[in-house]
Amino acid sequence: MIYAIFAPLFLALFVPLLSRIKDKIHTGVFVFFIPFVIFLYFVRFIGNDFQPIRETVNWIPSMGINFDFYLDGLSLLFVLLISGIGALVVLYSVFYLSKSEKLGSFYVYLLMFMAAMLGVVLSDNVFVLYTFWELTSISSFLLIGYWNFKERSRYGAQKSMLITVFGGLSMLGGFILLTIITGTTSIQGMIGQVDVILSSDYLLLILVLILLGAFTKSAQFPFHIWLPDAMEAPTPVSAYLHSATMVKAGIYLVARFSPIFSGYEWFFIIVSLVGLLTMLWGSYMAVRQTDLKAILAFSTISQLGMIMAMLGFGTEAAVFAAMFHILNHATFKGSLFMITGIIDHETGTRDIRKLGGLMTFMPMTATLALFGTFSMAGVPLPFLNGFYSKELFFESTLGLDGANFLSQLIPYIAVIASIFTFVYSMYYFFGVFTGPNHVGKLPKKPHEAPFGMLIAPIILILGVILIGLFPNMVNAPFLQHAAEAVNSGVEYQEIYFWHGWTSPAFIMSLIVVGVGIILFLTRKKWTGIYRVLPGNLSFNKVYDSLLKKVDTYSAGITNVYMTGSLKTYMVLILGAMFIVTISFMLITDGLTISFDDIAEITILEVSVVIIIIIGAIATLFTRSNLALVLVTGIVGYGVSMLFAIYRAPDIALTQLVVETISIALFLLCFYHLPKLKKREESVGSKTVNIIISVGFGLMMTLIGISAHSTNWFAPISDYFVETSYTLGGGNNIVNVILVDMRGLDTLFEITVLGIAALAIIGLIKLTSNKEAK
Amino acid sequence: MEIIILILAGVLFATAIYNLLQKQLFRIIIGTVLLSHGAHLFILTMGKLKRGQPPVLTDGVTDYSDPLPQALILTSIVISFGITALLLVLAYRTTQENKTDNMEELRGNSNE
Amino acid sequence: MSNLAVLPIIIPLISAIILIFFNSKVKASRILTQLFSLIGLGVSGYVVWQVVANGTIVLETGEWIAPYGIILVVDTLAAVLVLTTNIISVAGAFYAPYAGLGEKENYYFYPFYFFLITGVSGAFITGDLFNLFVFFEVLLMASYALIVLGGEKVQLRESVKYLLVNLFSSMLFVTAVAFLYGTVGTINIAQVAQRVQEVDQQGILTTIGILLFFVFATKAAVFPLYYWLPNSYIVPNPLVSALFGALLTKVGIYSLIRVFTLIFIHQIDLTHDLFIWIAGLSMIFGVIGALSTNNVKLIIAYNIIPAIGYILMGIGIFNQEALSGSVYYLIQDMIVKAALFLLIGIIVYVAGTSDLRKMNGLIHHYPLLGWLLFISAFVLAGIPPFSGFIGKLLLLEGAFRDGHIIIAIIGLLTSLLILYSIIKIFVRGFWGDKEAMEGIEKKPIKGMVAPVIFLLLLTVILGVGAEFFYPIADSIAAYLLDPEIYIDSVMKE
Repeated sequence: MIYAIFAPLFLALFVPLLSRIKDKIHTGVFVFFIPFVIFLYFVRFIGNDFQPIRETVNWIPSMGINFDFYLDGLSLLFVLLISGIGALVVLYSVFYLSKSEKLGSFYVYLLMFMAAMLGVVLSDNVFVLYTFWELTSISSFLLIGYWNFKERSRYGAQKSMLITVFGGLSMLGGFILLTIITGTTSIQGMIGQVDVILSSDYLLLILVLILLGAFTKSAQFPFHIWLPDAMEAPTPVSAYLHSATMVKAGIYLVARFSPIFSGYEWFFIIVSLVGLLTMLWGSYMAVRQTDLKAILAFSTISQLGMIMAMLGFGTEAAVFAAMFHILNHATFKGSLFMITGIIDHETGTRDIRKLGGLMTFMPMTATLALFGTFSMAGVPLPFLNGFYSKELFFESTLGLDGANFLSQLIPYIAVIASIFTFVYSMYYFFGVFTGPNHVGKLPKKPHEAPFGMLIAPIILILGVILIGLFPNMVNAPFLQHAAEAVNSGVEYQEIYFWHGWTSPAFIMSLIVVGVGIILFLTRKKWTGIYRVLPGNLSFNKVYDSLLKKVDTYSAGITNVYMTGSLKTYMVLILGAMFIVTISFMLITDGLTISFDDIAEITILEVSVVIIIIIGAIATLFTRSNLALVLVTGIVGYGVSMLFAIYRAPDIALTQLVVETISIALFLLCFYHLPKLKKREESVGSKTVNIIISVGFGLMMTLIGISAHSTNWFAPISDYFVETSYTLGGGNNIVNVILVDMRGLDTLFEITVLGIAALAIIGLIKLTSNKEAK
Repeated sequence: MEIIILILAGVLFATAIYNLLQKQLFRIIIGTVLLSHGAHLFILTMGKLKRGQPPVLTDGVTDYSDPLPQALILTSIVISFGITALLLVLAYRTTQENKTDNMEELRGNSNE
Repeated sequence: MSNLAVLPIIIPLISAIILIFFNSKVKASRILTQLFSLIGLGVSGYVVWQVVANGTIVLETGEWIAPYGIILVVDTLAAVLVLTTNIISVAGAFYAPYAGLGEKENYYFYPFYFFLITGVSGAFITGDLFNLFVFFEVLLMASYALIVLGGEKVQLRESVKYLLVNLFSSMLFVTAVAFLYGTVGTINIAQVAQRVQEVDQQGILTTIGILLFFVFATKAAVFPLYYWLPNSYIVPNPLVSALFGALLTKVGIYSLIRVFTLIFIHQIDLTHDLFIWIAGLSMIFGVIGALSTNNVKLIIAYNIIPAIGYILMGIGIFNQEALSGSVYYLIQDMIVKAALFLLIGIIVYVAGTSDLRKMNGLIHHYPLLGWLLFISAFVLAGIPPFSGFIGKLLLLEGAFRDGHIIIAIIGLLTSLLILYSIIKIFVRGFWGDKEAMEGIEKKPIKGMVAPVIFLLLLTVILGVGAEFFYPIADSIAAYLLDPEIYIDSVMKE
C-alpha cells in the first residue's frame, strides 16, 4: 500500500526525462499506467468480506508522526475514485493537451497530486494526513497556475492556495488539540477515546477548527469562492481535482471524523446547515452562469454541499446516501467536465450564449451529455445513478427525528435546491445541443471529437448507466463498507428504483421535476432576477477587498511607525521600555531604598557632581559646535575626577587620556560637520522628549538605588584581592583582573578596537578611491 | 554619597537621551558620549564607593575598593571609545554623501 | 576541562587576523576564506560530537576557577548553534566570490566576516555576562564595519540609525549587568542563576531581568523594538544581509533563552506571560510589515520578526514541547533565513530591480530560482515536510497544552500570512509572461545558487530527518528546564 502512495511521487521524477521525447510519444501515455496499476491493485479489495488493513512505516516515531496507512471501506471508496478517475483523466489529457504544452511539469504536478490525495485518504496519522493535505493544496495551486501567463490563472491559483492553506492550518490546530487530549496521533486511536474528546473543554474549538479545514477544501459556503476561479486550470484538472477528488477531501475528513463528533449536537447543526446553505447557494448561482465550466463549478459546490449535509444528518440512511452520491457524482460530473472540455476544444468557446444546436455536429458528445446532465438533475429513470442517490437524499431529510426548527426546514431546502439543480442541468444540455446554431460565429467549426478523447467520458457514462441499472452491484461489496466506516450502525439494505407512488421521496422528486420544467421553460423571464439578486452579496468581493485591504492596511499601519526617522524609533523604543520596566518595578514591588551602608558626603565630591550636571545640561542648550565639545569635555573630565576620588586610579587615568583624544577627534570633526542650528521643535515633541528622557533617567536611578540597597551576597571581588598577588603575580588588582583573570575580555576589547580601526580605514579609503575615479 | 552619584548617572542618562532625540547628528553623538559616562558611573557605584584604598596591594592595608567594577569600566571605556571614533567618521561621511546632518532629512523611503 | 571550548572562537579570530594580511590579494583571500570556514565547520562539528557524547564542556579560562574567572560553557545548545553558525559561514564563503562585492574585498571584507563569526560564536559559548557584552560588541562592531562598507548614500544613512540604536542597547546592557552585580555580587551566569534562585528573585531582580530582556529584545528585533532592522538589513550586499538575518538577531534571542531559562525563572507568571504577548505582537506586526511592501528584500527582512516571535513564544510558554520547538525553530530559521537572503540577492541581481511590481515571468528564464523560492516559502511558513513545520508543530503543541489558545491561533494565522508574503513574489514575479521583462539577459548564476541549494537541502533534511534531530532539541529543552544541570556543571559543588 505504501508503494502505491509513493509510486506516483517517485515516478514523477522520471517524467521530465520522458517529456523530452514528447514529440514521438505523448508523455501522458506513460503516465496513464501509474494510476491504472494503482487502480488494479486496490480494486482487488472490493468484496463482501473486506476487512480493513493497516501498514506502518516509521518516520518520526519520537514525535508520533509515522506513515501509518489504514485502508477501510471509506478509504477504499476514495482510493478507487482517485486512481480510477485519475487514469481516465490522464487518458483524456493525452488528447486534450497538445504536445507543444509543457507536458513534463503538467504530469509532475498531476502525479504529485495523486500521491498526496492517496496519502490523505489512507493516512491514519493526523500529522501525515495534514502533510498530504497541504501537498494537495500545493499541487492544486501549481495546476491552476499551469497557464500562468494568464492573469486570471494566477489570481485563481493564489486564491485557492490562500483559502485552502488557511483551512489546512486551522485543521492542524484542531489535530494538535485532539492529539494533546487523547495522547495519540492515530485517528482510529482517537475514535477509541470518543468519551474523552466529547468531555473536553475545547470540544467546540476542535470541531470548528477541523471543520474549517473541511469546508475550505470542499468549497463550502462561504469558502466556495475559490472553486469557480480554479476553473482556469486545464479542463482535465478541473475534472479530476476540482470535481471528482480533491474537493471531496473535505467530505472525506468530515466522514472520517464522524464517529468522533456525530454524538455532538453542534456537529449536526453546523455541518448540515452549512451543507444545505452551500447546496442552495451553489445551485442558485449555477443557474446564473453562462460559462459552461462555471455552471459545472457551482454545480459541484452545490453537490458537495448536499453530501456535506447528509454527513451532518449522520443517520444511517443519510450516511449511506452520502457514500453513494460521492461515487455517483464523480461519474456524472467527471464526464460532464470532459464533455465541456470537448466542446471547448472543438468549438473554441465555452460561452453557452454562443453555443446551440450542436447535436447534429457532435452526436456522440450530445448523447453522453444527455446521460450526464439527466443523472445530475435526478430525473427518475432507472438507468441514471444520480436519481438513486438523490432519492435516498430526500428520504434522509425526512428521516430526521427531532421537533426542532432546523429538522423541519431541511426537506424544503432540499427540494428548492434540487429544483435549481434540475434547471441548470436542463439549461446545460438544451442550451448547448438543441436550438438554433450559430456555427458561423464560433471560433472553430465544430465537429465530433476524436474517438480517443471520447473514451474516458464514455467509460464514466457507462458507469452512470450500469450503477443505475444494477445499483446493488456496488452496494454490499463496496458502499456498505464505506458507510460502516462512517457510521457503524449502517445495516445492509437493497437499493430499489421503485418505492411506490406514495413514497414521500418520490413525490419530492416529482415536485422537483415539475417545478423545474416550468422554471426552465420560462427561464427568460427570470434572468432579470438572477442578475440582480446576489449583487453585492458576492463573497468574491469580500475576498478581493479583504486582500486589497491587507495590502493597503498593512502598508498604512507599517508606514505609521516605519518612518525612517531615528527619533520616532527611539521614542517608541524608549517609551515601551520605560512603561513596561516601570510597571514591573511597581508590580513586583522592586523599589528598595536603604541609607544604611553609604559613604559620607563631602563638599569636593558634591561640587564635582554639580559641575558635571551643569555641563550635561548645558549640552542641551549650547548653540555652537565648539561650546558643545567643551562642555562635553567638562563632563568627561569631571567623571574622571570622580573616578580618582573614588579610588580608581586606573580608570581615572584611562578616562583622562580617552577624553583628551575624544575631544581632539571631536574638534577635528566639528571642523567638517555643519554648524549647529537652532532647534526648531514643536512644544508637543519637546514635551515628549522631556518626559521620556527624564522618565528614563529617573527609572535608571531608581533601579540603581534599589540594586545598591540590596546586600544579600558578598561580591566575588574579595577573591581577586586575595589572589591578585598569590596567583596573579601583580599588586595592581585591576590590572591583574584585566590581563589575567578576565584576559579574554581584554583580548576581545582590543579586537573591537582593531575592527573599528579597519572599518574607519575602509570608510575613508574606499571613498577617496571612488572620488579619484 | 552613592545616592547622589546614582542621581548624577540618572541625569547623564536623561541628558543623553534628550540629545539622542535631537535631529542634528552631532548632538546625537554627544548624547552617546554622555550615555557611556552615565553607564560607567552606574557600574562604579555598584561596587560601593570609598570602601578602602585603591585596589593596589599595599602592605598593611586590608580594605580595598571593589576592583571588579573598575576593570569592567576600563574595558567599557575602551570599547565606547572605539565606537565613538567610528561613529564620528560615519557621521562625517554620511553628512558629506547625503549633504545634510539632519536625521529627519535622512529618513529615506522603503521602496528605494 | 577541555580547551576544545575555545576553538570555535579562536579559529575565526585567527582567520580574520591572517586575512588582514592578504587584504590586497583577492583570490588568495577568497580561497583562504573558504578553507578557514571549512576548518571552522569541521571543528564545530567535532565539538558537537564531543558535547553530545560526553556532555557539557566547561573551560575556566586562564585556570581561574569559577565563578571568578571567565568561564566558557559549551552545552548542547551552544554547540549546535555554533555548528549552525559555521554552516552558514561556509555557505557564505562560497557565495562570496559571486556576490558582486567589488572593491569591498580589498577593504577587509573577509576579516570582518570572520570577526563577525568570532563574536557570534563567543556570544553562544561564554558563561559570563560581561564577557557576553564584550562578544556582543565584537559582533556589532564587525556588523557596523560590514554594513557601512562601500559607503553608498543609502547605506550610510541606514547604518547611522542601526549603529545608534544598537549603541544605546549596548550601554543599557552594561548598566543592567552592573545592576545585577550590585544586587547579587557576581556576573558569572551560573552563579547569578544560583543566587537569584536563593533569594527567590525578589526585590528589584525582576525589574533588572526586564531591563535585560529589553536589551536582548532590541538585538533580537522583537516588537516593539525592531524598527531599526528592516531598512538597515537591506542596504548592504546580500551576503552581508544573509549573515545579519541569520545570525545577529539570533544571538539576541539566544541570550533571551539563556537568561530566561536559567536566571529569571521565578516570576514566570509575570515575565514569561509578557513574552507571550510580545511574541504574538511581533508575529502580527512583523508579518504586516512583510505584506506592506513591494520591495522583495524588505519582504524577507520583515519576515525575520515573526520568526523571532515564534521562538520567543516558546520561551514564554516555557514547557518541554514549546522550548524544544523554540530550539528547533531557531536552528532551522538561521539556515532558511541565510538561504532566503542569498536567494533574494540572486533574484534582484538577475531581475535588475528589487521592486516586485517590475518583475514578471522570471520563471521562464530562471526556473531554478523560482522553484527554490517556492520551496523556501513553504519552509518559512512551516508547511510539512520541511523543517519549519517540526518547530512550529512543537511550539503549537506546547501552546495548546498549556491552554494558550490565542497565541496558538495567532501563530497559525501568521504562517498563512508568511506564506502569502513569499508566494506573492512567486506569483507576481516569477509567473507571468515570458516576454514581459524586456532586456533580461541570461546571467550566470551557477556559483551563486549552489550555496542556496546547500542550505535549502539542509532544511529539507531537518524536516524529513526530524527523527534524528528532534531528540537533540528535546534533550536541550529538558536541559533548559532544569537549570541545576548548567549551574552544577559550572560551579562544581
